[in-house]
Amino acid sequence: MRVGLEALPELRRHPGPVRGEPLPTSFLKHADEQTVAGLAAVYKAIHTAGLQSTNFRDWGVAAAPRFLGRPAMAAALQRFQTEGAWGVSPHLIPHRSLHSISGTVSQALKIHGPNFGVGGGPGGVAEVLLAATAMLECQKLPGVWVVLTCLDPEQAPDQAGKPAEGTQCVGLALALTPIRTSGSRIRLRVVCGTPVRESLVASEARDALRSGFDLPRLEALLRLLHSESSGDTRVVQLLDPGSRIELLQTGVTSLLDRTAAPARQRSLSPQADLGQVVLADR
Amino acid sequence: MSHPSAVWITGVGTATPLGNTYADFGNHLLAGRSGVDRVQRFDVSEHPSQIAGQLGEVPCPDEVDTEEFARLHRLEQLMRWCCMGALRDSGWWERRREVRIGLALGVGAEWLEVWEADALAGGRRVWQPELDVESMIGRTRRVLGLTGPVVSVSAACASGNVALAQARNWLELGWVDVCLAGACDMAVTPMALAGFGNLRALSRRNAEPQAASRPFDRQRDGFVMGDGGAVFVLESAGSARRRGARAYAEVAGYGARSDAFNMVIPSPDPEPAMAAVREALDDAGCNPGDVDYINAHATSTPVGDIAEARVLRAVFGAAVERVPISSTKSMTGHLLTAAAAVEALACLVAMERSALPPTINLHEPDPECNLCHVANEARPAKVRVAMSNSFGFGGSNTCLVLKAV
Repeated sequence: MRVGLEALPELRRHPGPVRGEPLPTSFLKHADEQTVAGLAAVYKAIHTAGLQSTNFRDWGVAAAPRFLGRPAMAAALQRFQTEGAWGVSPHLIPHRSLHSISGTVSQALKIHGPNFGVGGGPGGVAEVLLAATAMLECQKLPGVWVVLTCLDPEQAPDQAGKPAEGTQCVGLALALTPIRTSGSRIRLRVVCGTPVRESLVASEARDALRSGFDLPRLEALLRLLHSESSGDTRVVQLLDPGSRIELLQTGVTSLLDRTAAPARQRSLSPQADLGQVVLADR
Repeated sequence: MSHPSAVWITGVGTATPLGNTYADFGNHLLAGRSGVDRVQRFDVSEHPSQIAGQLGEVPCPDEVDTEEFARLHRLEQLMRWCCMGALRDSGWWERRREVRIGLALGVGAEWLEVWEADALAGGRRVWQPELDVESMIGRTRRVLGLTGPVVSVSAACASGNVALAQARNWLELGWVDVCLAGACDMAVTPMALAGFGNLRALSRRNAEPQAASRPFDRQRDGFVMGDGGAVFVLESAGSARRRGARAYAEVAGYGARSDAFNMVIPSPDPEPAMAAVREALDDAGCNPGDVDYINAHATSTPVGDIAEARVLRAVFGAAVERVPISSTKSMTGHLLTAAAAVEALACLVAMERSALPPTINLHEPDPECNLCHVANEARPAKVRVAMSNSFGFGGSNTCLVLKAV
């Protein structure tokens, strides 16, 4: 989901249609903008994917913000320089560290499985997908929430530490479950150590795929899958030599070159409506 | 004998307030030396807590240009030192391009630390997002010429255990042949010292720095921050045997559960932490009675140490009376993101030297922390199985079990 700054105060009080016991209205009082968007995205995903009756108690949470806390830190630095040590808020560290979003999601959903933050800057999307799928597979969890957040565009905050006008808070939540327990039509596959067959992807497309894998690009890949009403569709994101992720929608044809066509990628809508993503068999 | 797919530690790189090599760290740890002192790097006259376990200058590794190294942020210097040291120690440094080496590191607040250091030096980087184009872990991978995947993780003070678990996962999945894993932190900065101080989490025993970190002692009044890191080389037992590599230990068990209670305050319900410990022991195929040494999380806070003691009593039952336990934070300070990694290192020292590191400053044990303490002086003991607890903000509870090989 994408939220303009003007909608943020209301979302902070009511981040979504909460399951069970309502959250206290002060729950997100000190949270970062990205935390608000991330938790709201999780609630939206629960409802969009029909997961209201799912018990998340033993799930894991892996959250990858991008430059979490830049606006708050800008304000805190100025205050520190004028007021000294006593001017530093005790909320700064708990709510602007890499693990802050995963901890908040864990608390909100009463999730007792592992929670941790991933990445934090460029490259965070690939990092969190690798970490979450490995945890899901090896630590035998019933599911993992992957939460990605950023400010878009990433701009300099103002002197008071507010994000610049026109900035949107973006939150994207993926519910990963093992393929053996899910019938979702979208599957996520991580391949490491096996180079992709060069003949399947044109060189210029390969370069395009490899660069700039960020949250908006993942949104676009998911949008592409959702726009396909029939047929097997596989979109591939190369990460580095020998590593890639694949998003597969079950149906008919299977084409790497479908996603390798630059014109097709440029036409993608930047907005994604999320469904459930399932880890494919290795 | 370990199964060929078991994951072994075959290399170590470190820098801590107790020394910048594994040998120095071990010597000072077993001598019961405190690495805590008054903060020297910046003015602390207005900080509520004015003490920390500090690193001096991070040593520049051989083959690295000293001027280039000096331009790096201290956290990145530390990463570079630890990663290169671990690769050299393992024997992989010269052959690092022949295999797929991954990198999983606990790094909790990279960008906050970068922006703060820049601002205090007169810069405006927090207002210049166009400058933030590459993460430290990505650059470390590129500069070292590694070809495996990378991930930076944070579960606050439990990050090192999470990183080790990730590396073990990647090895099991065959995503990497070898993996660097551990954690680094340079959190002793003016703003972080102030932030934790204003949170009232830190000791204010400023007049007696070496006596300030006193886990399980009745007079404890908060934790003492510290800088440092430890990075390990992990590979399969089969790979290590084929190379004839030195093996420090097997990464045998891991458990992780969340409180889902509060971002800062530990849950009054011990069940999530108990579940993490049980999960780690099950994963390692151990019973509580098999454990020869527990490295406690115990940070020296009034609430946290009691909570951990309750967890251990519940999981270990009668065995808690005879399983030796210590908190090495009494000597290093609390290294936050790096704490779990450095405490895993302390377990390796205990195994290798057949000696239990002590909890120093433990003169009046809190009766609510009634455990089998290794108080004030190291004690000889054979250690085959060591367990290390690490808990963190965000409600993370983790436990690591290491076995001698």
